[in-house]
Amino acid sequence: VSCEGDRCITCGDVAVPATVVAVDGVTATVEIEGGHEQVGIDVVGPVEVGEVLLCHAGIAIDKLEVTS
Amino acid sequence: VKFVDEFRSGKLAATLAGELDRLVERGTTLKLMEVCGGHTHTIYKHGIEQLVPDEIDYVHGPGCPVCVIPMGRVDDAIGLAERPEVIFTTFGDMMRVPGGRGSLLDAKARGADVRMVYSPLDALEIARKNPDREVVFFAIGFETTAPATAVTLLRARTERIGNFSAFCNHVTIGPPLKAILDSPGLQLNGFIAPGHVSTVVGTRPYDFIVEDYEKPVVVTAFEPIDILQATVMLVRQLREGRCEVENQYTRVVRRDGNPRAIAAVEETMELRDTFEWRGLGWIDESAMRIRPEFAGWDAEERFELEGRRIEDPKACQCGEVLIGAIKPWECKVFGTACTPERPIGTCMVSSEGACAAYYNYGRLTARRDLVKA
Repeated sequence: VSCEGDRCITCGDVAVPATVVAVDGVTATVEIEGGHEQVGIDVVGPVEVGEVLLCHAGIAIDKLEVTS
Repeated sequence: VKFVDEFRSGKLAATLAGELDRLVERGTTLKLMEVCGGHTHTIYKHGIEQLVPDEIDYVHGPGCPVCVIPMGRVDDAIGLAERPEVIFTTFGDMMRVPGGRGSLLDAKARGADVRMVYSPLDALEIARKNPDREVVFFAIGFETTAPATAVTLLRARTERIGNFSAFCNHVTIGPPLKAILDSPGLQLNGFIAPGHVSTVVGTRPYDFIVEDYEKPVVVTAFEPIDILQATVMLVRQLREGRCEVENQYTRVVRRDGNPRAIAAVEETMELRDTFEWRGLGWIDESAMRIRPEFAGWDAEERFELEGRRIEDPKACQCGEVLIGAIKPWECKVFGTACTPERPIGTCMVSSEGACAAYYNYGRLTARRDLVKA
């Protein structure tokens, strides 16, 4: 048993940036590494499609500010 | 990938390494502790130790949440998992961590219903789908992960899901750093502080390090350019005689963190009086327990736990690795009796553990040669 990829994305201090593609209540569908996952947006919402969320252990812990 | 590719630029890395070369004082070693296992992983994976001047010595800190869980808590988890009514859910890395009676993976092989999840919300979903079973989630992690558990507890209460509970082992980052700073003989010049813990709690929890211990701190993200830039910022502070909490991860981290995430954790959890850390011993107010208001979702209230205490294996030097007193390759059993396939200590189990990172990225031979020379 191992975590995804070469590091543990869920249990460490690692969070993954992911773009919102759909929102349903307290759950957002985000695009992570080419696939779609659902994350809780309880502590960052409301969010909009196109925003980038920092995801960890199935929830978004923050929004990323997109700058040029 | 946006927010990733630009932080892995070789050209930028060379520029930063060149700047470090100019900043360091030849022959004077600077010991910088990267607190977080994610940072340790990045340093090894991208060969940052080989890129920076010899005067920079990265010391690997206690920030792998898997590595710091004491064996007795693993045994308690196994005890829960072996109850016939329980579906025990856990992050993948905890499956192989050895307790006194084997690992959760061994318990699964003996017939226990142990399932790997990527989120406590997945465990809650398993509870929804299995109303006749008790679903227990093995909650581990620093302040980064505690909000996910908190959100799950709040949803369980709102939805009145009575067959879900969490076995809470969430820990906090400040007290172990204080314990390390209080260790006799430890010589550290500065800290690379964890970026995603700080996303949640902000940068204030590190103020005591600069105020009480006069060591500079740089809150840092996880790509190689981030680590190199943080190293430059730390060395610059040291050369200029400054001692501040600086924030390298400005694209995410704010001074006050994420107040809503903090509020969710505070609503559902409270500080324990004390908690045992593998290798560091008992540290006051260093971990969270579930608040009495959420006792119905607290596995420690719902089930009787043995509460076993197990001494760490004598041959294992994880404790010294965790406080940065020795490098992984200096441990007596590193790479011989203790390997990722057959780990003795937790630092070899988790992919974020210092020993596993050293082992997997081939630092063993090079470093041992250096010692011999």
